[in-house]
Amino acid sequence: MRKLFLPKSLDELWEILSKDPDISIYAGGTDFLVKMQKGIINPSSIVCIERIDELKGIREDNDKIWIGACTTHTELLSNHIIKENFPVLLKAIKVLGSPLIRNMGTIGGNICTASPAGDTLPPLYILDAELEICTKDSLSIVAIKDFITGPGKTSLKKGQILKGIFIRKNNNYTIHHYEKVGQRKALSIAIVSMAALLKVSSNGDIEDARLSWGSVAPMVIRSNNVEDFLKGKKFSIETLKALKSIVEKEVSPIDDIRATALYRKLVASNLVLRLIKYEI
Amino acid sequence: MKLDRKIVEIGRIIPRIDAFNKVRGLEKYASDYHSKDMIWVGVKRAGIPHARLKKIKIDKAKHLKGVIDVLTHKDVKGTNRQGVVRKDQPVLVDDKIRYAGDAVALVLAKDKKVLMHALSLIAIDYEPLPLIFDAEKAINDKKNLVHEDNPDGNVLLHGKIETGKGNKAFSECDLVVEASFEVPYQEHAYLETEAGWAILDSDGMLTITVSTQTPFRDRSEVAEALGLDIKKVRIIAPYCGGAFGGKDGITVQTLLGLAALTVPGKPVKIWLNREESFISSVKRHQARLYYKLGAKKDGKLHALDVRFFYDTGPYDHLGGVVMALGLEHSGGPYHIPNTNLKGWVVYTNNPIGGAFRAFGVPQVTFAMEQMVDMVAKRLNLSPLEIRLRNVIKKGDKIPIGTTMLSSTGITDCLNILKQHPLWKERERWKRDAPIFKKRGVGIASIMHAMGYGPVVPDYANAKIELTEDGKFRIFCGVVDMGQGNINSYMQIAANILNQDIDNIELILPDTEKTLSSGSSSASRTTYTFGNALIDASKTLKEYILNRVADLIMAKSIDEFTMVPGKIIHLPTGKSFLLKEITKFLNDSERIVTKHYRAPVSKELVSIDERLRLHGIPHLIFSFVSHLAYVEIDELTGEVEVKKYLSITDSGKIINPQILEQQIHGAIAQGLGYAIYEDFVVEDGKAKTLDFSTYIIPTAMDLPDIESINVELHESSGPFGMKGAGEINTNGPLPAVANGVADALDIRIFRSPLTGERILMALKEKKEMSN
Amino acid sequence: MKIRFILNGETKVIDVEADRRVIDVIREDLGLTGTKEACGRGECGSCTILVDGSPKLSCLMLAAQLEGREIITIEGIKKDSDMHPIQEAFIKHGAVQCGFCTPGMVLVSFDLLKRNKKPSRDEIREAISGNLCRCTGYQKIVDAIEAAAKREL
Ligand SMILES: Cc1cc2nc3c(=O)[nH]c(=O)nc-3n(C[C@H](O)[C@H](O)[C@H](O)COP(=O)(O)OP(=O)(O)OC[C@H]3O[C@@H](n4cnc5c(N)ncnc54)[C@H](O)[C@@H]3O)c2cc1C
Ligand code: FES
Ligand code: FES
Repeated sequence: MRKLFLPKSLDELWEILSKDPDISIYAGGTDFLVKMQKGIINPSSIVCIERIDELKGIREDNDKIWIGACTTHTELLSNHIIKENFPVLLKAIKVLGSPLIRNMGTIGGNICTASPAGDTLPPLYILDAELEICTKDSLSIVAIKDFITGPGKTSLKKGQILKGIFIRKNNNYTIHHYEKVGQRKALSIAIVSMAALLKVSSNGDIEDARLSWGSVAPMVIRSNNVEDFLKGKKFSIETLKALKSIVEKEVSPIDDIRATALYRKLVASNLVLRLIKYEI
Repeated sequence: MKLDRKIVEIGRIIPRIDAFNKVRGLEKYASDYHSKDMIWVGVKRAGIPHARLKKIKIDKAKHLKGVIDVLTHKDVKGTNRQGVVRKDQPVLVDDKIRYAGDAVALVLAKDKKVLMHALSLIAIDYEPLPLIFDAEKAINDKKNLVHEDNPDGNVLLHGKIETGKGNKAFSECDLVVEASFEVPYQEHAYLETEAGWAILDSDGMLTITVSTQTPFRDRSEVAEALGLDIKKVRIIAPYCGGAFGGKDGITVQTLLGLAALTVPGKPVKIWLNREESFISSVKRHQARLYYKLGAKKDGKLHALDVRFFYDTGPYDHLGGVVMALGLEHSGGPYHIPNTNLKGWVVYTNNPIGGAFRAFGVPQVTFAMEQMVDMVAKRLNLSPLEIRLRNVIKKGDKIPIGTTMLSSTGITDCLNILKQHPLWKERERWKRDAPIFKKRGVGIASIMHAMGYGPVVPDYANAKIELTEDGKFRIFCGVVDMGQGNINSYMQIAANILNQDIDNIELILPDTEKTLSSGSSSASRTTYTFGNALIDASKTLKEYILNRVADLIMAKSIDEFTMVPGKIIHLPTGKSFLLKEITKFLNDSERIVTKHYRAPVSKELVSIDERLRLHGIPHLIFSFVSHLAYVEIDELTGEVEVKKYLSITDSGKIINPQILEQQIHGAIAQGLGYAIYEDFVVEDGKAKTLDFSTYIIPTAMDLPDIESINVELHESSGPFGMKGAGEINTNGPLPAVANGVADALDIRIFRSPLTGERILMALKEKKEMSN
Repeated sequence: MKIRFILNGETKVIDVEADRRVIDVIREDLGLTGTKEACGRGECGSCTILVDGSPKLSCLMLAAQLEGREIITIEGIKKDSDMHPIQEAFIKHGAVQCGFCTPGMVLVSFDLLKRNKKPSRDEIREAISGNLCRCTGYQKIVDAIEAAAKREL
């Protein structure tokens, strides 16, 4: 039998971690327990952090919003701060898994799983999310792009946990877009996903652009070439069409059971055309 | 409870009796059996697709703490062979491994954890054999064989039918279209995976409670394979958590029996997990099909040439029968005077192809219905018009050369479609497509046979009893795997006996209590058992009325009427309670058993004896026309079905809600097959082993379906009904494929129609035109 | 490990291995087999239970997580009279075929109607999209939930 702990506070968690540094952590368990049940991992002791209140909630912190790592997707979906500030994140979470998965799964879990298909990641990359990593007696802030180091890999070390996520408010964007292409409409893992934030002026000039793609490379792709190309251009179908060939060069997908690399590449570039629906 | 179960009229909705427990979580399925002293049983699967077995190393597992026993083929005392037609599947592998899901050893353990550990400790020594994975190529491979003892090499069954002038008639055609098609395996994905519970009691009786469609056939198979007296085997079949053909035949029954024999007096349980279920269970056959269709200028179909190859994997299961039904339906519901139809069903080392709702017909329908559209297009006819010109009418010959003698509503189905707003308004709907979307409308027309065919008796034995408390008890010999047939039986009996449904009791299939009545399959359950039950109920009623008439010296039984709970003597107004009357009847009067055997085709033309043995030709057919509104995303290729219409001729309706359940469910599975479901096998190994890679539709992926019924009277059927369970499975794939072709002017020859397949085809088309 | 929680209104104290799956605790140890298992991986929703009112997957929860929680399974959705209006609607509208998905479907509908008194058909489809059904094509399930919402039984 494995040992299992259910701490109710960070202090209790630190205590557990100090006694058993090799212990495995889970929050909602929707990634972790699936792996455990498949036998991919077989930890001898585990700690469930779902009851630690300090890891939950959504708060305004000056010009930033703080999201606790153990906040569930369902909680984020119904939160007005998220709705007002980060529609792009909201749109991504809306299509993550299923309502049941969203009731259990957490944003921290999605980040730490670091799957190239993770739905919150493309939005978090273009929102320049910063992660609050802490141990018993240290706290550091890491940009999400530095935190995720490979497919399924993060820079998290023994004894560290993800405490929360900071995202800077920014009311500048006029377009908040997320689209996931999967094998069906719910319970679907991204074959390609794209998140976009665009600032288009009243006369149709693209003043700022941030785009990212999931599932088309070992990690989320965000490219200067793409964003620089758009800045200063007219927001038009011609511009978006011209962007396609740049996108194709930036992505480096693989074949898997869900789709071929070629399809992924085609779709990744096609998806930029969808932005035209926001044209006024 | 506000639900009214008093109505007993045929043709009215009566809420399903089984739903009352199911909705409260109180129904006990085979997988729900559990006790503290039970033993968990698990199967060591081969994991490799083709090899000669050398040694099974079980010592480590056997000595693990908590392991009760480890069994291999050496422990099987009977023939160690099972199968519906050919007995070619071992209970536990003895000589050869023929697919990755083969059962090699059986472990009995005190709990699931020990069981999993023990299974991982078993090692198999083997000598790999070359893989046979392409059915079409395997037919000529005389060196590498799946079954060395099969006289036809890797061919399980080959069927050939020629009518009219056969292929010579193509020279008389004004136009000929040719194409080839491929469909993958489809997995049943019933939610309740294979499960059962067994115990050997002190009298030597082996009782197996199992999720099955075929308790009586299972009993014989278990007895033979394990070397038991059939009288000492009892199969109990609770409601299944879904089956759809996948539980037509042995799944875990023999393994359960074998385990129970080793631990007398102790209950044993097997419940496959999803992955093992996907690896080991039967599937809808993957197939390759070659079609050539010729027509005259006036739009009349004139000649058809078909060759197809069904991959049955390592064991027959029902592969031969599936292929034969495919052959019978390969030309669709059309009158085509000249045909040359050839089918092969072939052994390979892929997963087992077997029974699955619609049984070999969806594959050929995918091909034929697209062929018809291609001909229509070349002739500049609408898809509806060409169908109206060619569909069979009563008395016409169907493509295999036999005569359509049952009620034939396909023209009605198409005429209703023609008048339907969805057909009339299709052009406007297509024009209104939003940006980056293309819209198309596809139709399909289909027939589907009912029952076992000319040789294997399609019979049922219905037993009904007036109980000692004056109620009626039906002994059901046919399983309800979720389709609601048992509710229809109650409705039938209640109607004839004029009782409230609450006065009717049920005994579920149990080889000790109920009578052999064939399988729950082939769209025949309500038809065949229903006919037997009508007879039994009428006879019982007559008995009872006669007894009362004699008792009170009435002139004739016409003076009486039966009402809920009692009998009224009309001239005097006196009433007699059934619970009183029952005292005057002895057992042989209170209990009536009636046998019914479905009529069969008497035609002997064009179909050889081997095909007849495998179930064709049929006598009674149902019909449907389908229409799909499809929308394709040009950026991703994804197909969405926006609206779906089905028009069904399955005879008269007993309970419209149950019929509609069948229509919806069949279409849902058909749409899954059309757009999502692709059971991938590489080098004999299944790759899609969970619900995140084997994609079945969720509630967000299916449209609301409109269904209309033609309700022709089929004179041979109970209250004029005929088979309805399967036919609607056939339509969605071709209707969607035709819709896609309508929208994009692209034909997709391999299913499912995934976003990837369509986007690639669009890209290819663009490159060609550049 | 000793675990105390409320199951269908009754306090339970059980002694189980902390890492035992909740679905096994409920089905095997406590004998409530209305909660079904069809995948064990979070992909089907058959094992849905209500945890402090919120639908969760009992195949992806470990026994220790039950501590102090209020659990409702399909057997406990209605205590006093024998059926909840949602259950009645499922029967009346033909939403039940094999019935294996039904307990999960009923529990997520229960949660939906608590949060949203008048869901649209699309909202209903969304709400049940984590629960696979292989028999019905979902339409009659949507009908039933819609009727239950309108109390049109
Ligand atoms: C059926 C199904 C469908 C799914 N569909 C999707 C989908 O569509 N899109 C998608 O993106 N994901 C999907 N997922 C994956 C999963 O639900 C999400 O990634 C979810 O957000 C994970 O959160 P969790 O709390 O359950 O993570 P857990 O499983 O609890 O943890 C995941 C990993 O993160 C680590 N971890 C979690 N929290 C912390 C923390 N605070 N500090 C340090 N480490 C931590 C754990 O150690 C573990 O390694 C699906 C999963 C299932 C089972
Ligand atoms: S059994 Fe839990 S989600 Fe399928
Ligand atoms: S009713 Fe069978 S799975 Fe839903």
